[in-house]
Amino acid sequence: MDFFRPPMMDRQELRDLKKSIDFGFKDFSRNYGDALESIFDPLLYFLVWFEKLLVGAPWPVILFVIAVLAWFGARNWFVVVGSVIAFLVIGYFGMWKDTMATLAIVSVSTLICIVIGIPVGVAMARSNRVQSIITPILDVMQTIPSFVYLIPVVMLLGIGKVPGLLAVCIYAIPPIVRLTNLGIRLVDKEVLEAADAFGASYKQKLFGVQVPLALPNIFAGVNQTIMMALAMVVIAAMIGMQGLGQQVLRAVSNQYLALGFMNGLAIVALAIIFDRISQNYGKRLQKHLEGGHDD
Amino acid sequence: MKRILMGLAAAGMAIFMSQTASAACGSVTIADMNWASASFMANVDKIILNKGYGCDAELVPGDTMPTFTSMNEKGEPGVAPEIWANAFIDPLNAAIAEGRIHTANPAPISGLGEGWWIPPKTAKDHPELKTVLDILNHPELFPYKEDPSKGAFYTCPAGWGCQLTNANLYRAFEMESKGWVLVDPGSAAGLDGSMAKAVERGENWFGYYWSPTAMIGKYNMVPVPFGVDFAGKENWDGCIVKPEQECADPKPSAWTKSEVQSIVTDDFKSKGGAAMEYLAARTYPGPVMNGMLVYMQDNQADGADAAIEFLKSHEDVWTQWVSSDVAAKVKAGL
Repeated sequence: MDFFRPPMMDRQELRDLKKSIDFGFKDFSRNYGDALESIFDPLLYFLVWFEKLLVGAPWPVILFVIAVLAWFGARNWFVVVGSVIAFLVIGYFGMWKDTMATLAIVSVSTLICIVIGIPVGVAMARSNRVQSIITPILDVMQTIPSFVYLIPVVMLLGIGKVPGLLAVCIYAIPPIVRLTNLGIRLVDKEVLEAADAFGASYKQKLFGVQVPLALPNIFAGVNQTIMMALAMVVIAAMIGMQGLGQQVLRAVSNQYLALGFMNGLAIVALAIIFDRISQNYGKRLQKHLEGGHDD
Repeated sequence: MKRILMGLAAAGMAIFMSQTASAACGSVTIADMNWASASFMANVDKIILNKGYGCDAELVPGDTMPTFTSMNEKGEPGVAPEIWANAFIDPLNAAIAEGRIHTANPAPISGLGEGWWIPPKTAKDHPELKTVLDILNHPELFPYKEDPSKGAFYTCPAGWGCQLTNANLYRAFEMESKGWVLVDPGSAAGLDGSMAKAVERGENWFGYYWSPTAMIGKYNMVPVPFGVDFAGKENWDGCIVKPEQECADPKPSAWTKSEVQSIVTDDFKSKGGAAMEYLAARTYPGPVMNGMLVYMQDNQADGADAAIEFLKSHEDVWTQWVSSDVAAKVKAGL
């Protein structure tokens, strides 16, 4: 009968294995945690500074900046007015400070994702081997339950903004990498041949042909990254990240219906505003390129 | 007719059972709560009652409020080894006054409760920090990562009752003007993680926790006396535990005493006999309890495993709760 049982490690050995991994990690954290933490210090200072800037700025200034961004992104009065009204309502319901904290984290994490994600996506598009190594890593990052990596992150970096930011980035970076890769791979072979024929260097081909033609896809990636970052706000609040997520958690554990809906809807409002702005911007890029192509 | 016969049969059974109960305590259910220390205690009680007193004890899963309600209304389960009664002390006292529920042991675990804690290393390095008042004058020893000019006090995650309590004590002790920040760890895992990280690295940490827990046992955390007395029930129940807007003028106060009891139903009290004496005598010393919780966590053991380990390795503790022949019976039964 033993044959029919799946092969399994001895209980004691399994326990020892788990223990040794845990202790190994603890030793690592004890020895290198401080060094790792100090690497992230500049990021922390920047985050704190940025959040203070947003929270401290007078509200009309923020509204003005939002309106200008909305106009440059979407070129659509409807989006501009909608964004301003959404922020006014958020402020009116007393969620201004939390919204600014969330806004700071989401913008910084999106920025980090873009800065890291696009080069990685380009590298993946350049080489099939790199793609075959990175794709499974992205799969893991997107599907592993967040708490599994939140605990080691807390052991290494403590609780607060930086670990929250890392958690957000782990979850939010895959779309931009994938879509950059896809966009560049989808660029017409004939266009590349033409570029080769004109004697374009590698750099010229990449920045003059491939990236511009892939921009609509890359923007779809940016858009998705922002959405995923906002979705992670509540999870990251579980390791002490300030903002709307913390209020949602408070509402959930106290069954405060109104508080939960208000803060949840504030996150939705941020998401819709970001989405419309970045999506319309991407669309306009596409139109512009298509127009140029036809001429 | 059938029903009457059934009733008679049941009554006969009851008489028969109560007769055997004089020799043994009969069948009894014990609430097995869904947290580690209570589950462990329930399993120890089960083994000792079964082996030592000839009961037919069974565990039933439970949680504080459902178990209390069921004991009060239905008389089942018979024993709840660890009930944290602070939140519903009035209904509990009412049930005790009515005689439906009895306190078998007013303090089954010694040295338990909520409060503010520091790591043992901090206590050793800074012997001058004797009370919370001393610590509050030294925020620079507990720097807050996001604003190092301030001290960090780790409070409860958003939504826990103790978050309100800590926030009001924060105001009562005027911690803001003394240079402290209330840090919300976001979740139980965040609170544990912040403490574990600090202790593992030998950093200072100052925050809320409670005992008995594996975290306190594992890291030998030191409870800090508040340095002020408990400032009365009115201040605590009428202000400190309430949301900020309902507590205009909180006064500094030590943490309220945690009412943790072993409670039994009237039925168990009347037929339990010697088993009641056991319940009254069994008081776990705090360090032993914390040690068992650490054992459970390190070995991923459940309450039943831990009970056997406890009965084997802490004979000196539990043999004092029972007579020597009961102890011999339990030992033989292991």
